[in-house]
Amino acid sequence: MKIFKQLLIILVINFAGELISETLSEPLPGSIIGMLILLILLLTGLVKEKHIAETATFLLDNMPFFFIPAGVSVMVSYQFLDGHLAATISTIVLSTLFVMIVTGLVTQFLIKSKKDD
Amino acid sequence: MTETLTNTHLFGILLTLGLYYGCLWLRKRLQKNYINPLLISAFLIIIILTQVQIPYEHYTKGANFIHAFLGPVTVVLALPLYRQRKLLVQHKFSILGGIFSGVAASFISVIVLCRVFHLNEILERSLIPHSVTTPIGIAVSNSLEAIEGITVISIIITGLLGASIAKILYRILRITHPIAKGLTLGTSAHVLGTTKAIEMGETEGAVSSLAIGVAAITTVIMVTVLQVWGLY
Repeated sequence: MKIFKQLLIILVINFAGELISETLSEPLPGSIIGMLILLILLLTGLVKEKHIAETATFLLDNMPFFFIPAGVSVMVSYQFLDGHLAATISTIVLSTLFVMIVTGLVTQFLIKSKKDD
Repeated sequence: MTETLTNTHLFGILLTLGLYYGCLWLRKRLQKNYINPLLISAFLIIIILTQVQIPYEHYTKGANFIHAFLGPVTVVLALPLYRQRKLLVQHKFSILGGIFSGVAASFISVIVLCRVFHLNEILERSLIPHSVTTPIGIAVSNSLEAIEGITVISIIITGLLGASIAKILYRILRITHPIAKGLTLGTSAHVLGTTKAIEMGETEGAVSSLAIGVAAITTVIMVTVLQVWGLY
């Protein structure tokens, strides 16, 4: 009963996000608008943590399971990687390194330069 | 006979659930945290489908039910963001500055590297969200009309790499502050990085889980801006 109620709240918010996404001219994904709606509802207290807690925790703790079908879908788009596999992996590795170096150094610098923020 | 057994809703769900549970069991049994159930399950499913010659469409018949949960999974990401809100208010300047620089670095490096390596535009668009948490990465990939399968694989590689090199990188760059450590892991390596950040300490873990959400929102905003400008 409780799980159904929580799932209903989450799905209604998701649906509202999709609805807003449809009416916008820019392709902002509906699920992300849904996330922002839930954040606003939590901040304003219209939705309390306990209204979604168990279902949300289950979904968050088991997130990777829901990505498996998307991962498997690479088998039907493998032709795009054909001959570009090494370059693609190099791009991912180098970009990740660059992101970590920039984020780490900038954040460390900002914290040290503004001790009281 | 195989035809009637695999061309069902049950087949895709059972295969996915069975392999995922098997990986979780194995990880617990062997105590090896580097065993990635998502990557291994997806890999094994591809092997099984191709070797037994089961059509991909048979798999998606059931798998689409699992895929449909990406929406709700994304929505509930608001919860960890809400729980860490005080941290964001306390250190807004450093946190927002650090995350913005990281997301910008990700965009610029992917675009530059793809040009250097002569990768076509569809691959470039698929790699743009590689640092973002998977459900949002998939949503961004779809809105860029990229290939979600490649996006997912790139996100997993990024997460595994980020989590495994963080310690060495922090030593080389002399990154010592807990906020800088957690923020870097969450911004670059999403959930997999956060697992590492939690091992480093309480503040590191909290900042990292906050960074996942903020970095994802920043990425979505940047992609939307690029689309409005007609660059994508």
